[in-house]
Amino acid sequence: MAEHPPILLENLGVSFDLRRSKKRVRRSMVGQVQRLDENGKFWAVRNISLRVESGESLAVIGANGAGKSTLLKVLAGIISPDEGKIEVRGRIATLLQLAAGFNDELNAEENILLVGEFLGIPSSQMRGKIQGILDFADIGDFADSPVSTYSSGMRARLGFAVATSVEPDVLLLDEVLSTGDAAFREKSRARIVELMDKAHAIVYVTHDLESAAKFCTKAIEIEEGVIVAAGPAQRVIDAYLKKMEKKK
Amino acid sequence: MNAHPSELTVGRPRRGALGSIADSLTALVKRRRLIWYLANSSLRSKGSSSLFGNAWLIIDPALQLAIYYILVGVILRRPEPAFPLFLFAAILPWRWFTQAISSSTESVRRMGKVMQQIVFPQIVLPVASIGASFGSFVLGFIPLMALYLIYPERITVWILALPAVMFVQLLWTIPLAITLSALNVFYGDIGNLVKHFLRLAFYLSPALFSYDKLLKAAENYPLVVQILHVNPLAWVLIAYRDLLYYGRAPDWFGLVVVGTLSIPFTLLSIYIFNRLSPGFAKVL
Repeated sequence: MAEHPPILLENLGVSFDLRRSKKRVRRSMVGQVQRLDENGKFWAVRNISLRVESGESLAVIGANGAGKSTLLKVLAGIISPDEGKIEVRGRIATLLQLAAGFNDELNAEENILLVGEFLGIPSSQMRGKIQGILDFADIGDFADSPVSTYSSGMRARLGFAVATSVEPDVLLLDEVLSTGDAAFREKSRARIVELMDKAHAIVYVTHDLESAAKFCTKAIEIEEGVIVAAGPAQRVIDAYLKKMEKKK
Repeated sequence: MNAHPSELTVGRPRRGALGSIADSLTALVKRRRLIWYLANSSLRSKGSSSLFGNAWLIIDPALQLAIYYILVGVILRRPEPAFPLFLFAAILPWRWFTQAISSSTESVRRMGKVMQQIVFPQIVLPVASIGASFGSFVLGFIPLMALYLIYPERITVWILALPAVMFVQLLWTIPLAITLSALNVFYGDIGNLVKHFLRLAFYLSPALFSYDKLLKAAENYPLVVQILHVNPLAWVLIAYRDLLYYGRAPDWFGLVVVGTLSIPFTLLSIYIFNRLSPGFAKVL
């Protein structure tokens, strides 16, 4: 098992060609000249080496724009790295953003199947999950109506229920999900904890240091695209807090 | 906890050109249901929020026929016998081609948000667009059948050979759709250019006029004649007209050659798509 950890990164780097990126991306990179290389490429993350063993959970902390989300996207396979090596093994679930892939014209059930197809889950398996997803999302009589008629809360609830209906080997989380009312938040948190228990490896990107310390065994701190601290979660977080205090 | 699976999900070594093309072809077969869902929902969304709903899929081609009928038939006074049928036999497949190309060109770009969050074989997107436009093409046969009520003598058994001609058209639509969908991610200008190019191609193809008349008109422009000869779509449109209007056998040999020639282009287009697709999520 030690030979093939669920997640293994070696000197991984992701660069963006700023001329081709959208303005939104470019704006967030202003003032970070040190991350540009001689070719004018912007390195969102670079020289990232890490290993998440089976049973471990890794918190990724750091300021906005440090490269946390890019790292998560590489792990999910959405972006391919420009240098270095990446290996992720097993079924991946991402809770990056919810209701991705929904089509407004389709009803809840059809959308569940559609997202299942996007994720590559056999439809026979997905069909068995429909009732559970509908119950969890609690959308009641709207199940037969097109998603375009849903409130944003209902959409998000359905999105969450679909995204968490699959039991992943590797779970990638971005921020704690603040979906819906207090009751649903409670329910969704319980669901995430349940998934975390079952997953073999977790990467959790967050600003919520308290929950990071609570849920994660290890942590890394990213600053301007590189790892500046790594170790047991509590230790890295404590050091980070101290550093933040000094900055104030 | 079960033992962790050792199969790589992310970070599989890159395969060579042929391997990646083979991967894409298997992905298309495996994800046929996704293609079906995407095509289906985009077809359905066309009718939403309108009074006539999905009936527009039938009204639309009928209106287009009416416009060209007035334009070419009445104003330019060039009617062939049974002119509406003459026109429709070519306009209908041409519509399929235009819709397929223009919607697939935008297909990847439109899904940018989903691609930021879910990993899936993106090549399904242009193919699903072709599927959706095929759906509306098939519905266009309803007004065509209505025309046969006016010209019942024109309907023959040759109509049964339609799927073969459709297949040849499909073979040429696929490589164009795949290539344009990938290029358009990086150069949005392509989407704008395609519209005009399609319009030009329409007038340079035997859709409004018979092929012979077109050749005659272009007599003094050898370049145009050349284009007319090598345009695979011209072959296809002529074949449609043979089946639907003249009620005779199409040039089977020509169709087989034209269809076979599409294969290298299809492989090339998949190769181009695969080379470009790793960059999609970064620019969208």
